[in-house]
Amino acid sequence: MIEIRDLHKRFNAGTGNECYALCGINLHIRPGEFVTVIGTNGSGKSTLLNAVAGTFSPDQGLIRIDGNDVTLRKEHERAHHIARVFQNPFTGTAAQMTIAENLHMAYLRDKKCFPRLGLTASRMAVYRQEASLLEMKLEDRLSSQIGSLSGGQRQALTLLMAVLTRPKVLLLDEHTAALDPKSAALVIGLTRRFIERDKLTALMVTHSMQQALELGDRTIMMHKGSVIDDIPGAEKRRLTVHDLLDKFNELRKSEQLTEELLSSLRQEYV
Amino acid sequence: MELWVGAISLGLLYAFMTMGVFLTFRIHDFPDITVDGSFTAGAAWCAVLLTAGVHPLAALAAAFAVGLASGWTTAFIHTRFRINGLLSGILVMTALYSINLHVMGRSNIPLLNQETVFTRIALWNPGIHPEGWNALVLSGCLCFFWAALAFFFKTDLGIAMRVTGNNPAMAAANGRSVSGMTLFGVALANGFVGLSGAVVAQYQGFADIGMGIGTVVIGLAAVIIGEAILKGTSMFTRVLGVIVGSILFRFLIAAALFVGMNPIDLKLLTAIFVLLTLVISKSFRPAAKSRSPLVGIGRSRIGKKIAAAAVLLLAAALAGYAVWMHLGGQESKTVQIGVVQLTDNGLLNITRDALVQELGNLGYGPGKKGIIYLENAHGDLATVNTILDKFLQQNVDLVVTISTACTQAAINKIKSKPVVFSTIANPFIIGAGKSETDHLSNVTGVYGWVSMEKMLELSRSFIPGPMTIGAIWDPAQANSVFNVELLRKALQANPEITFQGATITSSAEVYTAAVSLVQKGIRAFVLSPDNLVYSAFDSVVKAAAAARIPIFIADVERLKDGALLAYGYDYTSSGIQAAQMVNRILKGEKPGAIPFERYSRVTIGLNLDVARRYGMNVPEDIRSQATRFIENGKVVSSRPSPNKAPSIGIVQFALEPNVELCKQGIQKALEDKGFTGSRTPEFLFRNAQAEISNISPIVQDMVRRKVDIIVPLSTPCVQAAARFAGGRPDVQVVFTYVYDPYRAGAARTATDHPANVTGVSCFPPIAEMLDLIRTMLPDKNIIGVVWNSSEANSESVLLQIRSHAAQTGQKILEATVTGPSEVLEASRSLALKGAQVFLNSGDNTLNVGFDSFAKVAAENKIPVFSVDSEFIEKGAMAVLGPDYYRTGYDGGLYLARILQGESPAAMPIQQTGATLFLLNLDAARSCGLAIRPEFLKKARKVYGKAGGKSIHE
Repeated sequence: MIEIRDLHKRFNAGTGNECYALCGINLHIRPGEFVTVIGTNGSGKSTLLNAVAGTFSPDQGLIRIDGNDVTLRKEHERAHHIARVFQNPFTGTAAQMTIAENLHMAYLRDKKCFPRLGLTASRMAVYRQEASLLEMKLEDRLSSQIGSLSGGQRQALTLLMAVLTRPKVLLLDEHTAALDPKSAALVIGLTRRFIERDKLTALMVTHSMQQALELGDRTIMMHKGSVIDDIPGAEKRRLTVHDLLDKFNELRKSEQLTEELLSSLRQEYV
Repeated sequence: MELWVGAISLGLLYAFMTMGVFLTFRIHDFPDITVDGSFTAGAAWCAVLLTAGVHPLAALAAAFAVGLASGWTTAFIHTRFRINGLLSGILVMTALYSINLHVMGRSNIPLLNQETVFTRIALWNPGIHPEGWNALVLSGCLCFFWAALAFFFKTDLGIAMRVTGNNPAMAAANGRSVSGMTLFGVALANGFVGLSGAVVAQYQGFADIGMGIGTVVIGLAAVIIGEAILKGTSMFTRVLGVIVGSILFRFLIAAALFVGMNPIDLKLLTAIFVLLTLVISKSFRPAAKSRSPLVGIGRSRIGKKIAAAAVLLLAAALAGYAVWMHLGGQESKTVQIGVVQLTDNGLLNITRDALVQELGNLGYGPGKKGIIYLENAHGDLATVNTILDKFLQQNVDLVVTISTACTQAAINKIKSKPVVFSTIANPFIIGAGKSETDHLSNVTGVYGWVSMEKMLELSRSFIPGPMTIGAIWDPAQANSVFNVELLRKALQANPEITFQGATITSSAEVYTAAVSLVQKGIRAFVLSPDNLVYSAFDSVVKAAAAARIPIFIADVERLKDGALLAYGYDYTSSGIQAAQMVNRILKGEKPGAIPFERYSRVTIGLNLDVARRYGMNVPEDIRSQATRFIENGKVVSSRPSPNKAPSIGIVQFALEPNVELCKQGIQKALEDKGFTGSRTPEFLFRNAQAEISNISPIVQDMVRRKVDIIVPLSTPCVQAAARFAGGRPDVQVVFTYVYDPYRAGAARTATDHPANVTGVSCFPPIAEMLDLIRTMLPDKNIIGVVWNSSEANSESVLLQIRSHAAQTGQKILEATVTGPSEVLEASRSLALKGAQVFLNSGDNTLNVGFDSFAKVAAENKIPVFSVDSEFIEKGAMAVLGPDYYRTGYDGGLYLARILQGESPAAMPIQQTGATLFLLNLDAARSCGLAIRPEFLKKARKVYGKAGGKSIHE
């Protein structure tokens, strides 16, 4: 479903702030596969997701979605098939608009916009039905502004919006990082449910090693813009957080991970 | 009325623009400054197309398209080249200035005689007040736009647009092209703005290059006011709020003018008002998530109380100010005034209305101290007595009688209360007194009779030779009999005229009497004042029209009903004088000690429609004596009432030294013509603060205030005055301080102008100036001129310079500038190209940058000639230009003539002949030149070393 070949991206090339964000990523994700991504800060996890979403164009390489070369496609064009949930709950929804209007916006993701009446009675019925899936009583508040919801509610809604049109690819960028533990657990539960229900191809960046192990069919580990490990589902199921840390130790021995990075990893994940 | 309704109209017109601003600033969160340019662009294209004969609606569509294109360009620069939105807007706005000028071909296009949507709308007017009709039709249009725009925001596309504005990242993640949406939204918004510019141009009657300046601020203010007033998240509410905000903003301006606030303070007021609205609306908003520090105050109870108190205080202060202005600070005391009139006829009604109005001015009447009871006996003398009884029973303080019959009844019945009579021919024959000073102790009043000699003389100038005239009267009315006697007496001096009379006892008999006279072969009706006959005047017209017999009458108000000529009093003066007597009596004077007053002023009115219908030529001398004309069923002009101090509204565009000179000239001329003391005009000075959108409300306010004459100074003011006061029966316009009123569209030729508009133009003496340069400096014939091509006046002047120079063989070098800062370089380029003389042709931009001009001239020893006198001590060697003081003085003389009763219709537009010739010897010497004595002799004043010798000042 997603095919990435030799992908390079350098930000602020030629300036003092030069940053080699992606250096030669190769990745192949099968349809229906749920991949979690872990790595240190600045390892290029989010950049990888953004490259797939199309927020920037890569310097070199190729991205294919469902067999189509989308490397030069713009963000909003790719959005017809790619849905996203951001880390910041405020980014994924339009605060001054109603819940129904936000849902409608998501519904229009793979469609053209014409000046015809948007929220017809039949559409509202669909959105009421969809909102009830969240079990947050939002179906009764479809005409309230998003701005009046809590961060957890907004993130749950963003997730609902993302899967509303059954996208080919779902990108989740640390989407529980800004939530309190209770809300985070709730959103993770929903994520698992929706992905299983629709058999979505998903790529999820996470800061929690626990999440990385519990969720998904496969985990990749990134460091300095490269994929340094790729753990298939069978192996993953056997692993614990400590095994994962041991894996980091192994990597260190093979000189791929320095001592300080290891400690920063420990800090982040344990 | 005009002021408030005009404010609504203007608010509705600007609402299109406000919707555009709402779309960019609120929906798209895009600070779009293009608005200032696209507003003018819409107006410019619309004006050009209209003058080319395009249908007004098509012109509006074009303006919308131009606005779209402007907005699209801004958004394109922003999205494609990633240039800051604010900067993109500024770039396009700046570019549009030049483009608009190219489109217009000059800085100002008058639309006064063009067909506009408003002339179209006027065609369907079912008969209501024209400004009200405009407002009504516009509200209909705006309702449509309101519904359409609000609905649009609920469509797929509209929702997508709002999302894009609200959260671009989310919109992109949901498949929406942010740049595409921005292009669409900003273009649409500016389309609305262009449309607004076009309708405003059509409404105010001209398009001007400067009309867009400050538009975006007005738009923002309106959006903010609207949001504060109408709260809600529904798009219907929000769009409605925008429209309401636009109207309220105009109301604010109108209210400030209404309470007599100096327009200088308008901007300050706007700022304070917007700030207050923001603060107060935040205070009353229920706890919303906001980081504004103001909310902290607002949310507390005390904050709310403070806010509420502030609103109340502001309202109370405004109301109090208005009331104070009205009462003139007098203490109140309830008095009762009874007014009785005999019938419902024109001149009695006029007397009554003028009386009530003047009483109102003096502080009596509804809403003020005192009660006025108005009663009408409807032609029945018995009722007059009943009414008087009622007055006595009510214990009124004073009775005003209108008409002879009422006065007669009143002086018989009322002995203990003051009686003031008005509109009565002869108070002596009814026993009110023996002379003006020796009369009944409780009675005084205003009277006067029409000279029947003059009436006959006027009728003779239409119908010379032997003729029979017919007269009708009611022998029961002393007043009528008296007047007929006057007529008979006058006839003795005219043996060629035969008299046929018919008497009546009720108004029902008038028709029969008139027909009988027609059958007797009369050539004209000469109707001496008679209340019954005048109230049944239509019957006379009916009888006379069949036989094409002209009617001469003594009541000017009957003119439009079918009389050929009216010679009579202006009965408003009767009412006004009576009201003043009432005031004196109520203030404690004894009626017995107040002498009867005569109203001495008469009006001659001509019905040109009747003259045309009857195929009669109006003799020129009568036309020139007449002050009121009926043409095409409308009163074309009337003169202001003579007995109160005339009011004159002077509106200027900006503060300039020459305008001040001009104003001084106007005042001096009026003073010299005897408008001093109690006749000193009440001046209403208004300054538009160099903002074109201020001019039309100022003029409308003057119309509302019923000033007698509006004096617009400078071209845009003349245009606005011609648009809003031109052709009105109740106000005159005398302009001055304008180069070219014809180009401005205020008139076609010196004699072909709206009947109530005339004035004095002051085109600079270009031919004389070039001749002066030629004779003074025969060896220097390359003349350099710096001018701003966006100034309409400069362009007119330059056209003249070019055509005259072509004849004299002088060579003109031109350099155009767009701002004062460019004058230095432009002047240097002229010097470099070999200009031998610098000429300041009176260009405003050059005037501001004159120091640079003079500096370059001094560096190159080039003599400077100037049309504007203020530069004689700032480097000019010679000045030859309009004498603005004298121009104003000439305008003042025109004002005086109109105040004395002349009709502007008959006064051709005058070009002032007064020029000012000044010389500066120091400037000549520094260029190494000497000025020959013959020029020194001619100069009004010579500056420099030979001493400021004044020849005549």
